[in-house]
Amino acid sequence: MQLLWQILVNGILLGGLYALMALGLVLVWGVLNIVNLAHGALIMLGAYACYYLFTGFGWDPFAALPAAMAMLFCLGYLIQRCVLNLVIRAPMFNSLLVTFGLEVVITYLAQFLFSADFRTVNPSYAGANFSFLGATVPLVRVLAFGIALALTVALWLFLEHTRIGRAIRATAQNLVAARLYGVNPRQLYALTFGIGAALAGAAGALYGVVSQINPYIGAGLTAKSFAIAIIGGLEKSIYVLVGGLFLGVVEALTALYIGPTYTDVVSFGILVLVLIVRPSGLLGRTA
Amino acid sequence: MKPALKFASAALVVGVFATVPLWGSAVLVQFGINALILATLAQSWNIIGGYTGYPSFGNSVFYGLGGYGVAIAMVQYHLSFALGLILGATLAVLFAFLIGLPVLRLRGHYFAIATLGLAEVMTAIVSNLEIAGRNIGLILPLAKGDALFFELSLALVVVTTLTVAWISRSRFGFGLIAIRENEEAAAVMGVNTTLYKVLAFALCSVFSAVAGGIHAYWITYLDPGSAFDVALNVQMIIMAVFGGPGTIFGPILGAFALSAISEILASKITSLASIFFGVVIVVAIVFMPRGFADLIQNFRRLGWRYFQENLKAHRV
Repeated sequence: MQLLWQILVNGILLGGLYALMALGLVLVWGVLNIVNLAHGALIMLGAYACYYLFTGFGWDPFAALPAAMAMLFCLGYLIQRCVLNLVIRAPMFNSLLVTFGLEVVITYLAQFLFSADFRTVNPSYAGANFSFLGATVPLVRVLAFGIALALTVALWLFLEHTRIGRAIRATAQNLVAARLYGVNPRQLYALTFGIGAALAGAAGALYGVVSQINPYIGAGLTAKSFAIAIIGGLEKSIYVLVGGLFLGVVEALTALYIGPTYTDVVSFGILVLVLIVRPSGLLGRTA
Repeated sequence: MKPALKFASAALVVGVFATVPLWGSAVLVQFGINALILATLAQSWNIIGGYTGYPSFGNSVFYGLGGYGVAIAMVQYHLSFALGLILGATLAVLFAFLIGLPVLRLRGHYFAIATLGLAEVMTAIVSNLEIAGRNIGLILPLAKGDALFFELSLALVVVTTLTVAWISRSRFGFGLIAIRENEEAAAVMGVNTTLYKVLAFALCSVFSAVAGGIHAYWITYLDPGSAFDVALNVQMIIMAVFGGPGTIFGPILGAFALSAISEILASKITSLASIFFGVVIVVAIVFMPRGFADLIQNFRRLGWRYFQENLKAHRV
């Protein structure tokens, strides 16, 4: 029972980070109809931004997080403005391939610049933990969980209650109508992708604190983000949180009861099953 | 070009290719085997992705099953290579039918991601199978020399391309194209869409599996990561799209062009080769989204305006 409780806590903490990972992917997918295969690579860049600010300038990783987000926002804005805006009306498959090309460029540029070595962000409090109702909880994971949760809620509030947020949602629903109301799609698409990239950057910064990073983690993180996005459904950003927590807990339970090498079988198996049985996500309305 | 002339020149090219192992250097032959296997993969992806319009990311599963069919047959049961190929192809066809029925109901992004998920599931399952050597992989008996593999791969490309050529002018192929253009309309016209899609999926699984089997025996080593590599799947898609999806020779052209580009890049600027490869992909899709075949057809008419028109049509 003690063990199960501990595993559940671990799963929930990991699930929060998972949700943040998928959040940017879902935003870009939902609004721009681009399935961004470079999403994991952007997460990886966020992790490296945090790593270099930490080792090079001695910034606390959690203070480096907003800086990583800002950098990734600029990069994402430029990617959409200069590249993806050129293919956004092409068949959806072309934009997918372009994002794959971008993933290759980013990954190998990272390998060239940062080397293929494993890196970890190790602040002085990395080993600190406390006890919560009998379960041991590492401090950094709780902080990461809290920030992931806060950013998810912040995005939701932003989309619901600000002018730009409403413009983004309007564009997702009907581009022509949004245009008639004065939305500049080039600008808005770039902004949306920038926000998606910034969220990836935040997820990366947190990922670097709780796990090891190298330039090749991107592809796996993209696949995981897909699983979370599909399980939660694309309708509301808040659903992603449910998808992330669900996957985190399921993976933790699988590792405990079936074996750690089976976590991918289960999580991607669920992805396929959900797609077949409920393509709009576990929480989405059935079409 | 008249069709007869087209096929005569294609036969001539194949004939010349078949002599490569006689005079080519070892490097050239090895490059050829890789390019031919990739051409087979791109061509078989063309059946489901190019003609039917279902962007499959699960073809690397067929490729991996073909490789494991050969590896398991030869290592665990000491059977012949040919029996291994049959085992691999059978596994792949079974998989295509079992998985195709539910998954081919999904469309667009959802189909792509479901097949991507399946590739990940298969990697993870095979990594846990004792008979497949878990995640360490299997080491196959030593192979018989590059010339044999070259001819085998060449024959496979030819058979695959002939199949695609047949598809492009058969009732079956018209059904597939109808599904790509408008699935509801195709169904109304009396095309049994489920049957057609699953058959197309099964057909491309056979060729991909045989390609995987040949490659595994040639490399003499197989592990789950490389057998079910999603990047390989993306590579075959890019080759098909680069050449011209839904055309007979496009995917072959794309496979050879991109293999050559990446080979040259790798020898000239080793560390930056992959970066440039990524740039080539992005630029190619932005400026010639319908592939090389379409470029050749329309460039004479439009000249440089061809690229401009493409940009204008797809940007926001």
